[in-house]
Amino acid sequence: MTVTLPRPATLPRERVRRRLRPDQARSRVAAWIAVAVIGLFGMFPVYWLIVTAFTPDDRVFSFPPSLFPSRITLDHFADLAKNEQLFGYLVNSVIVSVITAVLSVVVSAYMAYAFSKFRYRGRKSLMHLVLASQMFPQALLLVTLYAVFSAVGLLGSYTAMILSFTTFTLPLCVWMLKGIFDTVPGSLMEAAAIDGASRWRTLHTIVLPLAAPGLVAAGLFAFVRAWNDFIFALTLSSPERQTLPPGLVHTYLGEFQTAWPDLMAASFVVSLPVIAAFMFLQRYLVGGLTAGAVKG
Amino acid sequence: MRAGRLTNGQFAWLLMLPALALFLAIIAYPLISSVVTGFFEQSLVRPGRAFTGLANFADVLGGDFWPVLRNTLVFTAGATIVPFLIGYALALALNAGIRGSGLMRGLFLFPWVIPGVVVSFLWLWIFNANYGVLNGILLRLGILDAPVSWLGEPATAMIAVIVTKSWASFPWIMVMLLAGLQTMPKELHEAASVDGAGAIRRFISVTLPHMKGIASIVVLLEFIWNFQHFDTIYVLTGGGPAGATETFAVAVYDTAFKGFDLGHATALGGLWMLLLLVLVAFYLRHETKERS
Repeated sequence: MTVTLPRPATLPRERVRRRLRPDQARSRVAAWIAVAVIGLFGMFPVYWLIVTAFTPDDRVFSFPPSLFPSRITLDHFADLAKNEQLFGYLVNSVIVSVITAVLSVVVSAYMAYAFSKFRYRGRKSLMHLVLASQMFPQALLLVTLYAVFSAVGLLGSYTAMILSFTTFTLPLCVWMLKGIFDTVPGSLMEAAAIDGASRWRTLHTIVLPLAAPGLVAAGLFAFVRAWNDFIFALTLSSPERQTLPPGLVHTYLGEFQTAWPDLMAASFVVSLPVIAAFMFLQRYLVGGLTAGAVKG
Repeated sequence: MRAGRLTNGQFAWLLMLPALALFLAIIAYPLISSVVTGFFEQSLVRPGRAFTGLANFADVLGGDFWPVLRNTLVFTAGATIVPFLIGYALALALNAGIRGSGLMRGLFLFPWVIPGVVVSFLWLWIFNANYGVLNGILLRLGILDAPVSWLGEPATAMIAVIVTKSWASFPWIMVMLLAGLQTMPKELHEAASVDGAGAIRRFISVTLPHMKGIASIVVLLEFIWNFQHFDTIYVLTGGGPAGATETFAVAVYDTAFKGFDLGHATALGGLWMLLLLVLVAFYLRHETKERS
């Protein structure tokens, strides 16, 4: 420990250490208790999702449920694999989410670069508007989006979903990428200008390659948000173009008896790509969230 | 290059053009148009509309608005305070120097990472009246005598949606607050303990003031998001039973897409957005203050 503060003469080093120890031990114990209690609340539902997905039907529909599975089955996953309708939803989800992510990153990168590296009139107000636009109510936005897509005959198409998803991925990507471009030193651009590179060339051959990991991270965030969207996909898609979230609701809920183990198995599968994405994003988590949602 | 003749400001606007066009077409125009629709009588399924002035707003303020506002506020307050306290406690615990806290931070993210509909399915199953594990555990522990229909009773349904949303958002709050705690200079705590301050005293006089900025941003953002939350409520209760969990998001959605009444939906939505704007203005002011 490097304590640079002058110690009072009446408090020798030994006594300070002895006094700190039980104190620190107590806070460690308190910390473990907090982790255990919150861990139970946080992790039990995850455990229960997985257990249910692997439990045979006759066990699931018996009450009270046993907390530890006595038999394990892969039947529910096998059923999923055979379900062509669900496979269709999966394909739709992948198509829509990937296109949304790519479109959002490409379009936002230019705006973010302008926000980050140029000073001009209207910049501040526009930045605030983009930030605020993340917070407008989606249900209200949806009313007109529905009417517009209906009028131009796009209702139920991939385009309608992609454009509607862009309403939330665009502000997210602009803010996140602005944070990333802020870390690219301006001296690099000056050096490129001295070497005779145009602003356009500087952006494409120097800045964007440098920011590539950040572009990928922003794209992954956009992918996840699009993959998870429920309200727009529920309303703007046709039955054949439905993505997984509304697709699962329509497949499993509202029946006489919900097939809970099948639904939990499907939930497990739907969550996998998102979990994988976040494993890559761990490094960007705090930076990305503060850049994308909090920090200017 | 053509761009070479432009000033820097013009070049910046050129760069922003595609995003700006998209922004105007899919966010600005629809929002303004939605607000305008509040002054018309218009149906989702029939073409044409008639100007009715403030009639829709009068109808809404004389009916749905107040119970929906009450539900929204109860939900928003609950779903902000509960995960904030859990997330704060967890952030403090993971910052206390216990072993494996990095790994645990990752594991605790699961509830927040998994898709919103999956969260809803999962808790729908946990709260299930006939086979749900919550009833199973509480009955076995002797806390309940008979199974409770958690989502079927107005009083417990609101609690259930708050618990569900809290479960999904406490990890995000933990991550943000943990990041704040980690920027706190260790010397402050050491100096305070040398001065004889105990753990609680140090928490109040050192940790809380240091965390004020990040904590208020987190609370404000959570409040804004919960104020317009849709997914979990819609899947868990659909706004029921008997409208007990009907928040603005659900009410506007149902009025528009189940009642096909765009005029009343957007009037209610317009009032909702007005309230949200107050919150967003707070946030933007906070944001500008932080930066300068």
